[in-house]
Amino acid sequence: MKQISRAAVIWQLAAFAAVVIPHLSWLPFWLIGLCLATPAARLMIHGGRWSLPHWSLKLLLILLVAAGLLVTFSRETGMKATVALLVAGLALKLVEIYHRRDALVLLYVSLFVCATGFLFHQSIGMAIYALLSVVVVIAALNSIFQDPQRTDLLRPLKRSVRLVALSFPLMLVLFVLFPRIGPLWSVPMNQQSAVSGLSDTLAPGDISQLTKSDQLAFRVSFDGRVPEPAQRYWRSLVYTEFDGRTWRIPPGYERWHAEEEGLTVQGATVDYEVIYEPSNRNWLVALDQPLAAPQGMRIGPGHTLMITRGADRRLNYRLRSALEYQLQSRLSERERAVYLQLPPEGNLRSRERAGQWWEEAYGNPERFVDRVLDQFSRTFTYTLRPPALANDPIDGFLFDTQQGFCGHYAGALAFLLRSVGVPARVVGGYQGGEWNPYEQYLTVRQYDAHAWTEYWIEGRGWVRVDPTAAVSPERIVESSDRVFAGDPAFLSDAPLARLRFARSGWLVDVRRQLEALNFNWHRWVLNYQGQQMQFLGRLMGNVSMEKMIVALLVPFALVMSVMAWTQLRGRRSSAKSPLERKLSTLLEKLERLGLPRLPNETLQAYSLRVGKACPVLRDPMSRLASCDEAVRYAEDDAQKSDLLAVIHECHRVLRSVQAIDFEERA
Amino acid sequence: MSDPLLKAVEDALDALERVLLGKRQQLRLALTCLLSQGHLLIEDLPGMGKTTLAHGLARVLGLEDHRVQFTSDMLPADIIGVSVFEPSNSEFRFHAGPIFCQLLLADEINRTTPKTQSALLEAMEEGQVTVDGHTYRLPKPFFVIATQNPATQYGTFPLPESQLDRFLMRISLGYPAPEVERALLMGGDTRSELQRLPRCLTPNELVDVQVRCSGIHTSSSVIDYLQRLVQFTRDSDLFSYGVSPRGALALLRCARTWAWLEGRAHLVPEDIQQVLEPVIGHRIRSAEDIGSHAGDRLVNELLAKVDVLG
Repeated sequence: MKQISRAAVIWQLAAFAAVVIPHLSWLPFWLIGLCLATPAARLMIHGGRWSLPHWSLKLLLILLVAAGLLVTFSRETGMKATVALLVAGLALKLVEIYHRRDALVLLYVSLFVCATGFLFHQSIGMAIYALLSVVVVIAALNSIFQDPQRTDLLRPLKRSVRLVALSFPLMLVLFVLFPRIGPLWSVPMNQQSAVSGLSDTLAPGDISQLTKSDQLAFRVSFDGRVPEPAQRYWRSLVYTEFDGRTWRIPPGYERWHAEEEGLTVQGATVDYEVIYEPSNRNWLVALDQPLAAPQGMRIGPGHTLMITRGADRRLNYRLRSALEYQLQSRLSERERAVYLQLPPEGNLRSRERAGQWWEEAYGNPERFVDRVLDQFSRTFTYTLRPPALANDPIDGFLFDTQQGFCGHYAGALAFLLRSVGVPARVVGGYQGGEWNPYEQYLTVRQYDAHAWTEYWIEGRGWVRVDPTAAVSPERIVESSDRVFAGDPAFLSDAPLARLRFARSGWLVDVRRQLEALNFNWHRWVLNYQGQQMQFLGRLMGNVSMEKMIVALLVPFALVMSVMAWTQLRGRRSSAKSPLERKLSTLLEKLERLGLPRLPNETLQAYSLRVGKACPVLRDPMSRLASCDEAVRYAEDDAQKSDLLAVIHECHRVLRSVQAIDFEERA
Repeated sequence: MSDPLLKAVEDALDALERVLLGKRQQLRLALTCLLSQGHLLIEDLPGMGKTTLAHGLARVLGLEDHRVQFTSDMLPADIIGVSVFEPSNSEFRFHAGPIFCQLLLADEINRTTPKTQSALLEAMEEGQVTVDGHTYRLPKPFFVIATQNPATQYGTFPLPESQLDRFLMRISLGYPAPEVERALLMGGDTRSELQRLPRCLTPNELVDVQVRCSGIHTSSSVIDYLQRLVQFTRDSDLFSYGVSPRGALALLRCARTWAWLEGRAHLVPEDIQQVLEPVIGHRIRSAEDIGSHAGDRLVNELLAKVDVLG
C-alpha cells in the first residue's frame, strides 16, 4: 500500500472542487451538500480524527444517494441524471481512498466529469476553465506519484502546467485533423425550456416580449456583398390564420407544400453563412428570399426555411438569397382561401374603414396599402408598451389607441387587406442585426425580432410591405438597440446588458471585439465539424485517407521526438544552471577551434593554455577562470554577474578570432 | 602573506629546501601531510635523502624526535618499551620505548617483520600504546615518518594494506635534477646544515594551523569532483579495489591543507589534483597486477578520465 501524502490529498480535493463547480448551478441541493460533506470527511480521515467508514456506512450512503438520484431525476432521464450520478460517485469515492489505485480512479473519473461540463456550457470561458481544471487534475495525479519523503504542494502544479503545455500542440493537431464521427448514440438533452424566440402564434404584444431579451438568435457572415440594413429581412415563419385576436400557423401547415411556389430571381443574389443558435423549432431563418435549401432542410410553405429535425443544437448552414424576386405568380384556389381567411365577424369598424379605403384606391391593392401606410405614419406611434386591447383588438388599435409594435401593424395591415379580398399573410422573423466590423459578420439577437406583411398581387406574386417602416422608419434603417435605447421596457430582463449599448467609445469597441472572438469561437471551434472538410481541403488539396493518416502521424512523431530529445538533453544537462550552459557553449566553441579542454584541466590551467595559443584571449580567459573559481568554489554569488559579463566578453573576442590564429600559435 | 602562521610555514619550507635541494614539491607535500595531522611514508631507494627530510621536518616543526632503524630481528618491545621487574620495590616498571616522542622516524620500516610493523598500528591510529594491559598515551602531536625501500628490493616485508592505510601520504623523492645534484656535490656538508635549521613553528602553532586548514571553504562543486574521482576508482575496471571512505576523507583533509598553504580560503580542484597521487597512490591497486604499487600510473589514468567540471 502506498501512503498518500497530505499534499496529494489537498490536490485531490482541489481537483474534485474544480470539476464539480461548473455543475453547481443545476445540481440538486442535497447533492451539493454531499459534495461539501465528503471533502470535509476526507480531511478528518486524513488527519486521523475519523476512521475510514465501515462497509455498512458506505452501503447506507450508496443506497441513500441512489434513492436521492431516483427521486430527483425520476421525470427526466438523460444528461443531467447521468452527470449527477457521476458527481455523486466522485463525492462518495472521496471517503474511501485507501490506496493509490483509489486515488487514480477518483482522478480519472474527475477528468471525465470535467469533460461533461461542456454538455452544459460551450463558451470560451468554459473552455478556459476546463483547461485549468485539467491542469489541477493532472497536478493531483502528479502529486500521488511524488516521493513521499519530499512532498511539495507547488511542484506538482509546475509539472502539470509543463505537461499540459507540452501536449498543447498535439491537442491542436488532433483537433484539426481527427475525423469527426457522428454520435453513435444520442442522449436526450433537457434544455428546451430556456430557449426563447418566435412562437407559432402572434398575438399583439408577443414580439415586444422578445425585445426584453438580448439572447443571441443567430449570426451571419456574408461571402461578398452585404445587404443594406433596410434589406435585412430574415424570414422565419408565416402566420396565415387569424381568429380575430391572434395570428397563428394553422395545424398541419408545416407539412404543406406550396402547390406552385415558383421564385424568379430578378436582381443580385447574396451568399451567406448562418450560425443558428439552438431554438428547438423547425423554422430557421433565411434572408428574403432563399433560393434553395441546404441538405437536411427544406423550403416550407410561405417560403420559409425549415429543418426536418428540430434545431436542438447549433446549426451552421450556407444559403443564397435573392433580394429582388418574384414569388409565386399564381395562387391556387385552396391557397387563395387560406390567405383570405378571416373570422366571420368582429372588428366591424375596421372592415368598414377598409371598404372605404378600398373604394378610394379604386380597387388597386398597392394604392390601398399606400393609403393605409399613410394613415399609420400620420397618427400612429410606435412603442414597446402599447396599451392593452380588449375585444376587437384591430378596431381598438386602429381607432382608439393607435399605439403599437410591429406585430400590431403587420397584423392590422394583413387584416385590412384580407377584408377587402387581397390575399395577405403576416411574416415573422428578424430584421436588421448588428454589424461587427472586426470579423465582418452580423449578430442578430432576440430583440431584433420583427413582423411584417406580405400581400399577393396577380402577376407580381407576393409583395413585402413593412408597415413599421411607415410608422418608425428608423427601426428599419438602424438597429433596434438604437431605436429603443431610451425605452425602459427594452431589455428589461437583462439590466446589465443595457450597459453594452453605450453609443460609442471604447466600450462598444471592446464589446464588438469580444463578440468577434465569440463568433470565431463558435464558427471555428464549436462548429468546426462542419468546417473541417472544407478547411482541410484548403490546407492540403483533396483530402484522402492516406493524407489524413500521415498528417496525424507526422506531428505526433514530431512532438514525441522533440519530447524524447529534451528528455535526453535534460538528463545530460539538467543540473546545469544557465550560467553553466553559457560556459559550456564557450568551451564547445573553443573545442571546435581546435583547443579542447582536457578532462583533468581546471579552468585555470585551461585558460593559461588558451592564452598561450591565442594572446587576445589571454586576459579575458584568465579573468574568466578567476571569476569562475570565485563563483564555483568560493561560492561568492556576488561575482555571478561578473562571470556572465566575462563569458560574454570571451564570446565576443572569440567571434573576432579566426581558427587560423589558433592553428598558427597552438 | 598576512597570516603569520602561513609565513612561518613558508619559512620552514625555505629552510628545508636548503638541505634538500630542488625538492620543493615533495617538501610541500610532506609538510601538508604533517599539517593535516597525518603520518608520512617516504618510499625511495637508499641514499635519496629520506632520512634527511624526516630529520629536517622534525627540526623546523620544533618536534622532539626519535629515530628507530628497523631491522629484520626487531621486536615490538624494541619500539614501544618494556616492563621491567624492579627488585627494590618488587614491582614492574614500564620503560618507555622510542615511540614516546612527538615525531617518530621509522627508518626502513619494511625491513622488519609484520609483527613489529603492526606494533605501530595502535600508536598511529589511536595515539596510545598498550603494554601488559596498561594503556599509555603518547605525547601530542604524534607523527610517524616512515621510510621504506621499494618492495622490489631484497630483504623487505611489504607493509600490509591496513598498515599502509594508516599513512596519510606516501611520497617519493626521486633523483635530483643534474644541476641540483651538481650544486649538492659542490656544496658543503648537509649534516651540519641540518643542525643549523631554524625552528619555525611551535607545537601549539601546529595545532592552530590544523584548525585553520579544517576551516577552508569547501564548495559542493569540489566535493562533487572528489566524489567523481573516488567513484571512478570503485567503478573502473582498472582498479582491483577502490578508495575507501577513509581514503576520501584523507584526500579532502590534505587538499584543504594544500589550499591553505597556497594562501587561499577555499578549496579548488587543483588542490585535490596536487595531493591526489601521494594520498591515494598507496591505497589503490591495479586490477592487472595486484602485487605492484603502480599507484602513480593509475592516478594519472584517473586524473585523465575524470572531468574536473563534471
